[in-house]
Amino acid sequence: MRDVYLIGAGQTAYGAFPERSYRELFAEAYERACDSVDRGLASSAIDEAIVGSLGVGGRQLGLSGPAVTEHVGLRNVPCSRIENACAAGGFALRGAVQAIRSGMADVALAGGYEVMSDMSNDVTKYWLGVSGETEWERLTGTTFSGVYAQMASVYLDTYDATVEDLARVAVKNHKNGAKNPKAHLGFECSLEDATNAPAVARPLNLYHCCPTSDGAAVALLASEDVVDEYTDERVRVAGVGAASDRVGLADRDSYVRLAATEAAAESAYADAGIEPDELDLAEVHDCFAIAELLAYEDLGLCGRGEAPQLLREGATGLDGELPVNTSGGLKSKGHPIGATGTGQVVELFEQLTGRAGERQLDEPRYGLAHNVGGSGGATVVSVFENEGVAR
Amino acid sequence: MSRIESLGTYVPRYRLSGEAVREAWGQFHGAGITETAVPAADEDVLTMAHEAAVRALAGSTVSTSEIERLFVATTTPPVEEEAMGPRLVSTLGLAADTRTRQLTGSTRAGCEALVVAAGEGPSLVVAADAPRGAPDGEHEHAAGAGAFAAVLAPEGTLRIEDVAEHVEAYPGTRFRPAGSTQTTGLGVTGYDRSAFVETVAAAADALAGDPTEANAVALQSPNGRLPYRAAGALGVETDAIQRGTVVHEIGDTGAANPLLGLAGALADGAERTLVIGYGSGGGATALLVEGDGELPVERSGEDEPVQLSYGEYLRIRGDVTPGEPDGGGAYVSVPSWKRTLAQRHRLVAGRCPECGALSFPPEGACGDCGALAEYDELELPGTGTVEAVTTIGQGGAPPEFVEQQARGGAYVSAVVALDGPGGETVSVPVQVVDVDPETVEIGDRLEATIRRLYTQEGVTRYGFKMRPLAE
Repeated sequence: MRDVYLIGAGQTAYGAFPERSYRELFAEAYERACDSVDRGLASSAIDEAIVGSLGVGGRQLGLSGPAVTEHVGLRNVPCSRIENACAAGGFALRGAVQAIRSGMADVALAGGYEVMSDMSNDVTKYWLGVSGETEWERLTGTTFSGVYAQMASVYLDTYDATVEDLARVAVKNHKNGAKNPKAHLGFECSLEDATNAPAVARPLNLYHCCPTSDGAAVALLASEDVVDEYTDERVRVAGVGAASDRVGLADRDSYVRLAATEAAAESAYADAGIEPDELDLAEVHDCFAIAELLAYEDLGLCGRGEAPQLLREGATGLDGELPVNTSGGLKSKGHPIGATGTGQVVELFEQLTGRAGERQLDEPRYGLAHNVGGSGGATVVSVFENEGVAR
Repeated sequence: MSRIESLGTYVPRYRLSGEAVREAWGQFHGAGITETAVPAADEDVLTMAHEAAVRALAGSTVSTSEIERLFVATTTPPVEEEAMGPRLVSTLGLAADTRTRQLTGSTRAGCEALVVAAGEGPSLVVAADAPRGAPDGEHEHAAGAGAFAAVLAPEGTLRIEDVAEHVEAYPGTRFRPAGSTQTTGLGVTGYDRSAFVETVAAAADALAGDPTEANAVALQSPNGRLPYRAAGALGVETDAIQRGTVVHEIGDTGAANPLLGLAGALADGAERTLVIGYGSGGGATALLVEGDGELPVERSGEDEPVQLSYGEYLRIRGDVTPGEPDGGGAYVSVPSWKRTLAQRHRLVAGRCPECGALSFPPEGACGDCGALAEYDELELPGTGTVEAVTTIGQGGAPPEFVEQQARGGAYVSAVVALDGPGGETVSVPVQVVDVDPETVEIGDRLEATIRRLYTQEGVTRYGFKMRPLAE
């Protein structure tokens, strides 16, 4: 199979932009992504586009993919939209990688977009909730905060972990997000604030939950055959893995691990030929604080029950051994459902190519993106490598 | 005559005191009433009927499949047209050829049901009610909630010795206009009292046995004073009436009212009880029941009541809540809901023929071995253990649960491992009710009950929820 390279990536700021349309947001992300390509990219070079969205709040359930790509002038480029809840963007990236690896495309676009901030609270909750298991789980009166809270209840009951450990996720990610001009909630918070915030779903409080954001993100990929036309900086898609799992929590074997993440990570590491300890940074799906703890363990960054210790030691902080969510993560950077997966790739691109500004790490080589749909029904893990960084 | 084999009663755990009403209104018109029982936000006449019926059936030797008739009595059915019988047959697991009848239109309906069931084959009689009235009026201040159920079978120890009825047209004493949820009356005191005393005395008079020999009288009691007004006409002591009167503690339970009085008298050891149901219109139905007092009576809801303030009462009743929000909620179509009724109502799970593991609901590939085989269905006993738990606080509820949360406050959403017959379990998401939400922990033991999940497009979805397992 041909190697695939990340030649550019860009995104809008994440936030509440009720006055902007999803097409306009996508256009901005697309332009930024094109601008980030060292030698530029003509729209005519794009062979394939795959985009992710939950459904932009129902206003354009069908054909929103072509609606955004045609809007930016990708005439007659095949575009398909992937729906996998919050993992839609990650699966769009995987689809674009498949298109290039298979030989059907030389340059492919992976993107995502969502606008929900112009809807009422009730309509927003409706849209967030219908990605869970709707015939049984939802009928106990839960949305995702409730389901992740149930996972957290078991985690806190099983391991040496406290509500304060959950709050440490928020403190760390807000600290990083404060350095990210694209962040939705780009401010720092204290451990006290994050521990004592108003309850959302026991044991989760407001600071244990990410916001719902508007935004768009685009990643541009090229085959090894054409990458030289666009850039000399070789950021390779080293490995991609994906898996799915039972949509309802009660149907799973464990409530404190996402089997889809474990399986996706295993595939991605095998594809990349690396071990987790070779990673230099990771963008993980911290839709709720407990999700970041589970991600550490499911991705093999530590053993079972050891995630709180990593946080307490600062190992995943910006100057830690393995910085996690340097962008601010979903918690601080924001979570525009369909855009989140490709937005993670934007951060990895910037870090691996030295464009991350105040957040810049020292010449990272391997970066990982972890994108989860729902409460773990679908997961994508991808690993990127800057081939120019030697060990 | 027919015999009663077992009784079950159910009274919701919430109470509103006359004092709390007086604080709000400056006066309290529930004569002779200390406090009234209030249904939880997700309870109604159908769920209370189910609760009482489950208890009566538990004490009976008659199996659910042997029940031939189901009589349901209430003045306040959840909807004015659409019978409760078929749903109760489903929640209780009765046979599909059960003859179901619904009696309504009068608080006498409970006693009427007992009379029509008497002399027939194995029958289940259920009377449940939760009347309402105008906020500042006597009917509302007296209004309680509760349910009574009895299994009638030849082996029963409580004999219905005799029945008699009397009717006389007395319009206007108590009525609920079409389309209204509020019971009202003209309030002509002397006229109302005559209607009551004359009809109940005439019905008692028509009994073949001597009603004055009864050592308890369970008399319709729209409030805590009226039944005693009939003592003279009936020729009984007020002590006997008090023994069969529960309105003081739970309020007016409409069609269930004299029958809950009977259950109270039996629990108190009464051997011969005169039961008289009175309904406006007017008429009375009298029954003389006698037994040795060893009848199984399963009662619930009368221990550890939870007191409400008047404001909480208005919330829980849905009087001051916003209703279903705009924007719509997650939608489970009624036909697809119907497809899962065996699971929602009776916890019918499936056993994988390949590996023996349980699945709930019994559809799709086996969660254990992945086989896509046809499950062997089995009904779970309805107990289980909390595996994961959260409390959904104010603002956290999805739109279709906003009204429940507005009325009932924060609620518990949990994953519960339901017990299988052989020590194995199967996990399901479920709400936990009748408990302080913050106190539910992993490992807590629970039992299933039937509650309202939500109402969409006017159709209420009833399904199982769980509550702390009774000791």
